[in-house]
Amino acid sequence: MSRRTTHPPEQEPTPASLQRVGAILWPSFFVAGVVTMVFFAYVDPEALQQMTFPSLKLSRELGYSLGFFLIWLATASASLFTWILLRPSRQVRRGFHPGSKS
Amino acid sequence: MSRRIPLHVVDDESSSYYVSERKVYPREVSGRFDRLRVAAVVWLLGMFYLFPWLRWNGRQAVLLDLPARQFHIFGLMFLPQDFLFLSTLLIIAALALFFFTALAGRLFCGYACPQTVWTEVAIWIERWCEGDRNKRMKLDASPWNREKILRKGARHLLWALFALWTGFTFVGFFSPITDLARRTPFGWGGWEAFWILFYAFATWGNAGFLRQQVCKYMCPYARFQSAMFDRNTLIIAYDPMRGEPRGPRKRALASVLARARGLLDKVTAYDYVFRASQHPSAADNRAQAGGTIVLAGAGVSAEPLPKFSLEQMGDCIDCTICVQVCPTGIDIRNGLQYECIACGACIDACDAVMNKVGYPKGLIRYTTQNHIDGKPARVLRPRILVYGCLLLAFIGGWIYGVTHRSPLIAEVLRDRNAMYSQASDGGIENSYTLKLVNKDQQPHHFVIEVSSADMPGISLRDGSRAIEAQGGEVVSVPVTVSASSEVSGRHDVQFKVRGVDVDAQATVNSSFFGPSL
Repeated sequence: MSRRTTHPPEQEPTPASLQRVGAILWPSFFVAGVVTMVFFAYVDPEALQQMTFPSLKLSRELGYSLGFFLIWLATASASLFTWILLRPSRQVRRGFHPGSKS
Repeated sequence: MSRRIPLHVVDDESSSYYVSERKVYPREVSGRFDRLRVAAVVWLLGMFYLFPWLRWNGRQAVLLDLPARQFHIFGLMFLPQDFLFLSTLLIIAALALFFFTALAGRLFCGYACPQTVWTEVAIWIERWCEGDRNKRMKLDASPWNREKILRKGARHLLWALFALWTGFTFVGFFSPITDLARRTPFGWGGWEAFWILFYAFATWGNAGFLRQQVCKYMCPYARFQSAMFDRNTLIIAYDPMRGEPRGPRKRALASVLARARGLLDKVTAYDYVFRASQHPSAADNRAQAGGTIVLAGAGVSAEPLPKFSLEQMGDCIDCTICVQVCPTGIDIRNGLQYECIACGACIDACDAVMNKVGYPKGLIRYTTQNHIDGKPARVLRPRILVYGCLLLAFIGGWIYGVTHRSPLIAEVLRDRNAMYSQASDGGIENSYTLKLVNKDQQPHHFVIEVSSADMPGISLRDGSRAIEAQGGEVVSVPVTVSASSEVSGRHDVQFKVRGVDVDAQATVNSSFFGPSL
């Protein structure tokens, strides 16, 4: 085969919605990881559980994981909020359409 | 009279950083920097995959035991109370990143970043299964047939195994790995299984599919590393003064370094680079360099390059192999770009080509912008010295701190319910809870004593207490301090805890209350 044909085939573009989800989830994941580490370095999940829900039976592992996902939820909400604020005005005028191009 | 200027913001359609990514097919390369990277991959991944299996004093050498809140690292045990060491370590890592970036650019990205290291392995697997660049492109372009299914299937199977093994090893740092291996896979706990699969998925996605997109879009360091660069930073650069005008040549031609033409002047050379990037040759088009670099303002166009005589040609033969080997798919000849992870693949590739055509090496090389521009370059400059000194100070402090850690932490809590109580013999008593932490891995005995400067007769009710604490154990010791019946008001007391079989001592201050006058 001649060398001419050996160029990279075209790739389908990543959908804008996927990029947006990535841009919201990824930085919040990163920060949540750091915050979880710092938080649980000082707070023992078992001690926290005794202070908050002493009637529930929560192990330390569950406490760490639960803490991480709650913090991720919080940071992801902040990222989502930022995205909403940064939406171009023409899109806001058109209204919220999850499928619309950003 | 002031009039409003009718301005309005033009909504930029291309406001997004994101461009749809072409798949990059890095071509295999060999040379100095490739050997260096393979060595780094073997070393770093070797540590990652091997460390959890090592034993030290009868326990896993590196075990970050989150459930027990104890972190064992080669005979040292760290507790959450030692968080200072971890934060200092992170500061050291950040400073090291500043130092090495200012000195020699993105060394971390090219050789040590987990993304690079795991991507490298994923590319090796891809190469074993599907062949080198051209074969992979042809395979992707070809219709689905038996060979394509087999080759792609093998690659995905190996990727999946590699990713699962990585996830398993990762969790093995937190959960004793031999036990984890024995329970594979149905005995895994819920969270263990979750994190193994999660980490495996992340490895599979990042190393297999996202690759350079992680560096371009996800990595914060890639976005701010340029702030640490200056014109004396070692970068990977193409020498346009020597290489331009680029182009293939039909017959042998000596290097410009040995010809009357010599090096071009800077302005001409960069103009040629710009015009070549605006009017890519057929070979450049085939290589399809990506990248976001803009060599001039928007709308600036340039004339295509004229046809040069053989004698005018520079040393770049426009073989585009530097583009083909690039894992991020850029053309280094356009200059320093933020996509460049400084892996040195283009240096290896170009050196090999220069060797083949009989030119001296180094058309693409590690150099500084000042060198390229023919200005004096300085390695030892204030920022290097400042970063270096700070780095040394932190490392020194960290090592001193870790080697001189006290194996004992003591804290004291006063009983919150009663200020004081009266014993049957009329003496005044206060109750406390002492919290002792044995930070050593071995069990130790400690003795608790109490003293006060202004109450000579003070003592622990049951005499001095001896306590045994297991390695890493936090012991709560309730103690009662008695004083004579004449004591009144507030007094300072001191609890002294010292090790019987270990050189450790801790003094904690608290208060003793008697009846108020």
